[in-house]
Amino acid sequence: MKHKFYFFKYPLIFWLITFVLIPSSAIFAVVFFSFHPTNFFSLPLTLSNFKKLFELHFVQIFLNSLFLAGGATIISLLLGYPFAFILSWLTPKKKKLALFFIILPFWTNSLIRTYSLVLLLGKKGFFNNFLLALGIVNTPLELLYTKIAVFIGLVYTLLPFMILPIYSSFEKMNKKLLEAARDLGASSWNVFFRIILPLTKSGIYSGCLLVFLPALGMFYIPDILGGSRDILLGNFIKDQFLFTRNWPLGAAASLVLSLIMIVLSTLFFKEKKIKFVHE
Amino acid sequence: MKKIILTLLFTFCLLINIAQAKELYLFNWSEYIPDEVLEQFTKETGIKVYLSTYDSNEAMYTKIKLVKGEYDLIVPSTYFVEKMAREGLLEPINHKLIPNLKNISPKFLNQSFDPENKYSVPYMWGSTAVCYNSARLGKGYIKSLNDLWNPELKGKLLLPNDVREVFGLALKKLGYSINETNPKHIEEAYLELKKLLPLVKVFDSDSPKHALLNEEVLVAVTWSGEAFIANSEDQNFLYAYPKEGYSLWMDSFAIPRGAKNVENAHKFMNFILRPDISAKISQEMGYATPNQAAIKLLPPEIQNNPIIYPSQEELKRGEFQTDVQDALLVYEKYWNELKNN
Repeated sequence: MKHKFYFFKYPLIFWLITFVLIPSSAIFAVVFFSFHPTNFFSLPLTLSNFKKLFELHFVQIFLNSLFLAGGATIISLLLGYPFAFILSWLTPKKKKLALFFIILPFWTNSLIRTYSLVLLLGKKGFFNNFLLALGIVNTPLELLYTKIAVFIGLVYTLLPFMILPIYSSFEKMNKKLLEAARDLGASSWNVFFRIILPLTKSGIYSGCLLVFLPALGMFYIPDILGGSRDILLGNFIKDQFLFTRNWPLGAAASLVLSLIMIVLSTLFFKEKKIKFVHE
Repeated sequence: MKKIILTLLFTFCLLINIAQAKELYLFNWSEYIPDEVLEQFTKETGIKVYLSTYDSNEAMYTKIKLVKGEYDLIVPSTYFVEKMAREGLLEPINHKLIPNLKNISPKFLNQSFDPENKYSVPYMWGSTAVCYNSARLGKGYIKSLNDLWNPELKGKLLLPNDVREVFGLALKKLGYSINETNPKHIEEAYLELKKLLPLVKVFDSDSPKHALLNEEVLVAVTWSGEAFIANSEDQNFLYAYPKEGYSLWMDSFAIPRGAKNVENAHKFMNFILRPDISAKISQEMGYATPNQAAIKLLPPEIQNNPIIYPSQEELKRGEFQTDVQDALLVYEKYWNELKNN
């Protein structure tokens, strides 16, 4: 059946070709060229770029990124899940207000918000002054330029992406199911693991994906808050394109990153499909 | 009829010319020129300046190479002037259009990176040396590069997030040039840096003065302008030129190939080289001006400031960065290893 607004697909196709297909194919093509000091890339065609990637501690770079992104995802889930749960039980008026506050930080550029975290977490920052004034600590805590600061920054920036999909799956959940389970004598433990958790699974998947994937490529937060002591995937790719101008190597790294993202999203959609079949 | 069309065409061309003559696309380092200077230029000449900024020579080079004719004036460092001129990426400069070139001190002209200044006009220069908190560490704490390797500084050191500057420190410590291309010597420097890395708390090229002022670190290897600002906020921040040597740099104006407003670019350079304008820029940015007529206009505390203008003796120990060409890949390889161990 042809939809009334069928012609709207053309701008979409144009968009996908210009901004997704062409750049991605270009990256894919460059992978097979050789490094050239002044021309970005040149013949002969080669497969050695992938090999070089692993000579350059790429595995370590990759594991660093994975650790930061994975950690941020787990923390966001632990914080975001109860948050979304409570949110779904509020009165409509309070709900609206709470959602408004979740969205509010998006009105300010995330780079500026990251820089303001530098001011908050520093030795002479607000947080340390507060603890010192209360007498909780005697010397300022070392927060800025540590992994803790990086996690704070990543979770702070990405938490809304965890809360919102989980919240929407809580909203969709029929609350009467919980009452029914209670009436039939289920323990709190059972209610949570056998009803709430399975019904909000798709929200958890979406939330984790929406936090994990951006965190994997996000390099300015670890740079600004962590003191740029590790090289992460994002920095590595940027350096290959801008600094050493080794485009084939940068393309190889970004191809690996894209592949991981594709695999993860495919797994996610597969999971979703199974759920639709059940419905 | 023909005449009318010709006249119309002629006026049309003229209009386009006028429209074109009124703008200048400047591609400069971030925080490297005061806004008032650009406003004053527009006020005096009617030419509107569109400013874009970059944070490394490499990023600027890649952009110039990819897109032709987007910018009229760029500000590469010495070794990038050399590299870009060699690769045919720069337009020659017409010295007749820049009478104020006579204000530039001869010691900054006709250098090996650009003989006879065919492609470049000096803008500002400075150094990369060591700024430290003397209130906490005591005066004269840093004299030599060896003092940076002091285990006492664990977690209290800031280095620039720049591979060439960081390797320059170790190369100088070993007595080599900061422009070493011998892979053996670069490897030796890498082994030295491996020992230094546990002391480093943060790599920062954006705004190292903040980490110093907030006492996140006590010692920072940084550009002179950053040290100047830290020192003007608190006199206890001192700037030391290590006895083994340090790196000097100079940034120059150059016109990229395919620039559309070449004449305006010349007008702009001539305007900047006016003594009053050069003096204003140097005073505000905390970097040294190569303009000898401008130096006389600066207040004595700036003229005699050892952070901005090192003494003759200190100047002798400094070394200008040059293009290391393919050796950059060797540096980059060890840099990756350094940061991932």
